[in-house]
Amino acid sequence: MDPTISVSKGCFVYKNGATRAAKSKTTPNKSKRKRSLGNSSLLGPEITSQPFYTAYGEIWQQLHDHILQLQQESYSRTLDQLVQYLETECGSQVEDSEILPTAALLTGINQTDHLKQFEALTQRLQSRAKVCVLQSRDCSTLKGAIESMVFNLIEGQLEQDSEELEQEIEDRDHKRLRRSQCTMKQLNSWYSNNFQLEQRKRQLVIILPDFECFSSHVLQDFILILSSHCTALPFVLVLGVATAMTAVHSTLPYQVTSKIRLRVFQTQAAPTGLNEVLDKVLLSPKYAFHLSGKAFKFLTHIFLYYDFSIQGFIQSFKYCLMEHYFAGNAFSLCTGYSQALAKIKLLISDDMETIRRLPSFRPYVEQINDCKRIIAILTDDDYLKKKLPQLLRDCLLHFLNFRCALEFVTELVGDLPRCPLGKLKRELYVLSLNKKITSLPEFKECWQMLSFLSKDEFVAKLMKCVTKTEEFMQQEIAPLELGEACLAAMRPQIQEVRQLLDDVVLSTMEAHHPPPPTVESHTESRPITSRQELKAQLLQRSKQDHQPITEFARSLQRILQHIENQIVLPHLRPLQEAPPLHELFVFSDIATVRRNIIGAPRAALHTALNNPHFYMQCKCCELQESQQLMGTLPDLSVVYKLHLECGRMINLFDWLQAFRSVVRANDDGQDVDQNVDQEQIDPQIQARFTRAVAELQFLGYIKMSKRKTDHATRLTW
Amino acid sequence: MEKICSALEPIFPCRESAINTLAELIGDSREAYPAAIHLFGHSGTGKTALTKAFFKQCQRQQHVRIAQLNAIECYTTKILLEYVLDALAPSQDEGDAVRADNMLEFVEKLRQWHDQNDGDGDSQAFLIAVDNAERLRDMDANVLPVLLRLQQLTSLNLCVVLLSQLPFEKFYNKTGLSEVISLHLPQYNKAETQRILSTDFAHTRNHYLDKFSGHHERLEICKEALTEDFYGNYLNLFLSVFYKACRDVPELRLTARKCFDIYMEPVLDGSVEATDISRLWRHIAGPLRSALTQIYMRIDKHSFEAGDGGGGSSALEDQSVRKLAQSLELPYYGKYLLIAAFLASYNSAKQDKRLFVKHHGKQRKRMQTVNAKAKTSDKMSTALGPKSFSIDRLLAIFYAILEEKVGLTCNLLSQISTLVHLKLLSFVSGEQNIMDGSARLQCTVGLEFVLYIGKVVGFNVRQYLCDFM
Repeated sequence: MDPTISVSKGCFVYKNGATRAAKSKTTPNKSKRKRSLGNSSLLGPEITSQPFYTAYGEIWQQLHDHILQLQQESYSRTLDQLVQYLETECGSQVEDSEILPTAALLTGINQTDHLKQFEALTQRLQSRAKVCVLQSRDCSTLKGAIESMVFNLIEGQLEQDSEELEQEIEDRDHKRLRRSQCTMKQLNSWYSNNFQLEQRKRQLVIILPDFECFSSHVLQDFILILSSHCTALPFVLVLGVATAMTAVHSTLPYQVTSKIRLRVFQTQAAPTGLNEVLDKVLLSPKYAFHLSGKAFKFLTHIFLYYDFSIQGFIQSFKYCLMEHYFAGNAFSLCTGYSQALAKIKLLISDDMETIRRLPSFRPYVEQINDCKRIIAILTDDDYLKKKLPQLLRDCLLHFLNFRCALEFVTELVGDLPRCPLGKLKRELYVLSLNKKITSLPEFKECWQMLSFLSKDEFVAKLMKCVTKTEEFMQQEIAPLELGEACLAAMRPQIQEVRQLLDDVVLSTMEAHHPPPPTVESHTESRPITSRQELKAQLLQRSKQDHQPITEFARSLQRILQHIENQIVLPHLRPLQEAPPLHELFVFSDIATVRRNIIGAPRAALHTALNNPHFYMQCKCCELQESQQLMGTLPDLSVVYKLHLECGRMINLFDWLQAFRSVVRANDDGQDVDQNVDQEQIDPQIQARFTRAVAELQFLGYIKMSKRKTDHATRLTW
Repeated sequence: MEKICSALEPIFPCRESAINTLAELIGDSREAYPAAIHLFGHSGTGKTALTKAFFKQCQRQQHVRIAQLNAIECYTTKILLEYVLDALAPSQDEGDAVRADNMLEFVEKLRQWHDQNDGDGDSQAFLIAVDNAERLRDMDANVLPVLLRLQQLTSLNLCVVLLSQLPFEKFYNKTGLSEVISLHLPQYNKAETQRILSTDFAHTRNHYLDKFSGHHERLEICKEALTEDFYGNYLNLFLSVFYKACRDVPELRLTARKCFDIYMEPVLDGSVEATDISRLWRHIAGPLRSALTQIYMRIDKHSFEAGDGGGGSSALEDQSVRKLAQSLELPYYGKYLLIAAFLASYNSAKQDKRLFVKHHGKQRKRMQTVNAKAKTSDKMSTALGPKSFSIDRLLAIFYAILEEKVGLTCNLLSQISTLVHLKLLSFVSGEQNIMDGSARLQCTVGLEFVLYIGKVVGFNVRQYLCDFM
């Protein structure tokens, strides 16, 4: 962008070439540009060449492609049906002419997400039909609706076959259409000029992505017009309905619905779409980057509680990713194992210092007993670099194991009645990263429920768990770099579960009176870490002593204990107990994200007005406490603070007096004058006050009252 | 004239009298046409189709120039005028040069043709049909009067046919209109409907024969079973269910075709004889009834009320509310906002303190309030319809009913506008000035719906409604 030659300060608008001509040129390159993410960045080369940025670029590219692919798949299920419907409609058109074929797509409430879906549909249909996406904002009147539809259909056509047909089109209609010329008549003649000769009729697909936002009168007339032209122009209408079919029925009266033939298509619900993204992408073992339990919960919380927007979720996830890598070059190690090894060499001493400052580095140092090695690791960068590969490997391996264990346990507890630990992988992920899962009461409840299951149920369930986990390991873990190591760790345990399960299958329901010694030894061998655990154990033992246990129950207990001790405890560890340097792979700075992602306009305005120093960072406005009033504050801020002290109605004169006393307070020298103009207010102050009040009104905090003269009404509470 | 009648009568059974009248009025292009004809009747009585076919015949046999247009399409007068001119233009050689910006130019253009005609010697006749003519009333004030007197103004042999669902009395305006000839197309009675529907027989038979042309066994059954009587019996059964609810012939025809497949099924299977009507009836009764509910779902209110569905319909509605509430996916806070909006709409602001504040003090029972309550017990506010509320009150109630603490963020505020978009809330006033807090909203969903939503999030809505205290 070239600099501007101007004496005055201000904003200047540059045309960035986003005109129609430039657009048509760039659109084919769009997909290419997306690929080369590093180049099209706003940031200068001094940042984009940093290792952390390249690492970030790579991983985001992978994630993004994965998500896109996933979404394409999920869209295509519905779109296939839809496209098929549109094609069959073309054939059966002849029979009843005045009836407009219509497809209603039940999309779910977040409408911005669906524009993408409709884009995909448009692309799919491009080859065999003319598509026009009609936004409700263009259609406040019937005239506008028809004009923009006709314009889009005709002009969209012009834009597309730009090169080879250019000449032909030039001949056909010389000049660009004016808006007012876009009528149905025009469309008719255009269609007969262009497509009459073709064998198969080209369909005209009209997509209304946000059905609810259309005014019902416009929509009714619009549909009636389309249907009356159905004989000549093969229209197909696609409605994107956000709520339910009743919305369509209540908007369109009978004489309109009798003109359309409605087919309903259900798209995937937003929460299922999100779960898919979460399970397949975010929780995939492929990627080194992880979200901490809290951050993960925070993002899903925004989705489930506020907006149901998958797009929004992905963007906030991207923000977390950026925030994570932006913390420094040390974080460029957050990639695959071999790539990380290559990147260790690039690190400078500052980065090593960052690594040393990680919270989990300290316990690691403390557990080394050799004094020399401690000193070496704290001071010698080269020594630490030598140590790093092992540490990274441990970390990565831990996460892989974690994923395997998560797979197993989710399958185990997911369909218990009332789902104490949650039904889905993501819920369990959050729980087990946040806290030690075995200490949760929900976990105990689950275990108890598992032991209440009948033999058949239990065996079937565990078999499913085992096969699922093995499948998962085979498909997802094995192709990875550290997959072998992970499999080596997990496989024996799964195998043992299998063996124990065989015992369960063989066991009978006979009662055993003497407590079997094996259980005894087993429980004793277990390390007792807390008093609570000891208590639980004692309780369990006392139960065992009293009740006659069957062989089945015994082997069932044994297998559950094995799962708890060998799978859950060592692998589903909370983040605090994760191996050292896990901070490199896990993003947990949720406070920053919250501040930056969630806009809180009222809170921000309040801070700005209450404590201007927070934003301005000037010396004059530093406050000891937030309630403090100072003359040096900006006038608006003073007026705002004074108005906070008032009730619903504010007397302007009193307000002015208070304002004056505050502003005057710091001009000590004028004490003498003050008595003089007690009655006479300095016009300058009055002007400042008036201006500040006007600004406050502009911000929407007050309104001039009409009922009471010289009073203002507060609008906030 | 006779030729026109004889061509049309087989296509439009039960409309012989109307066709005859029309033919007498405008059947002969050599005679002077009346200035305007007003043709009215309910939807589905064949106004448009009849006129269209009639005009086609006139064009073919007597070279009358015709124009047919739909008034809905003409959102500006200019479109209407140009459309008419375009359709009536003498021949193709003039191309697309026909332009008329206002009524004067339009009339002028027509007059020119008159002059040309005079030169030729033999006078040309024109017919114009305007569908949905009731829309003409909303257009420019001169459109309807000019159309009605177009013959006089242009001195052409020209007739304007207005098609409408309303009687002509509804067209009168302050300045008055010239008289027109009114022609009413009454609704078909049951026998007529059956006669019209039975014209479908040949079509259906061909359809079935085509369908099973490869399937020898079934083809035989079809050939044997599909007789006119058989189809007539079916229609009789069909109309016994549907005629009370719906008299729109095209709709009935569609549904009849759809249901006939089900009717034919046992016959094709060979499980029921084609002559065994009572068993066939038992077989078809259920599907017909469910098709009837579907027709209710598609058809709008007027036929719903016309139908005799008393107890059955309310159960159906109830079911659909539940289905809607279940199928509607809202974010968690969105649901709470909707509940809060409902509470704000159906409680008076005076009661808010009592409902939502923990220590609201004791309420004195005074004789006056007791009396007032007893009097108004029959007009509960839930039955009176929603009242408007401000956004501040909505948020206050939202925070009161939500146990956890949430910040007042953009995401939360944008939920309100999402609900407005989904038409679950609507602006009553002040849509433009949301900023100064004077905008007022209204909740548009019913109690039933909110009760279901409340059940989903585990919130007892009844507990917070004054009516149920």
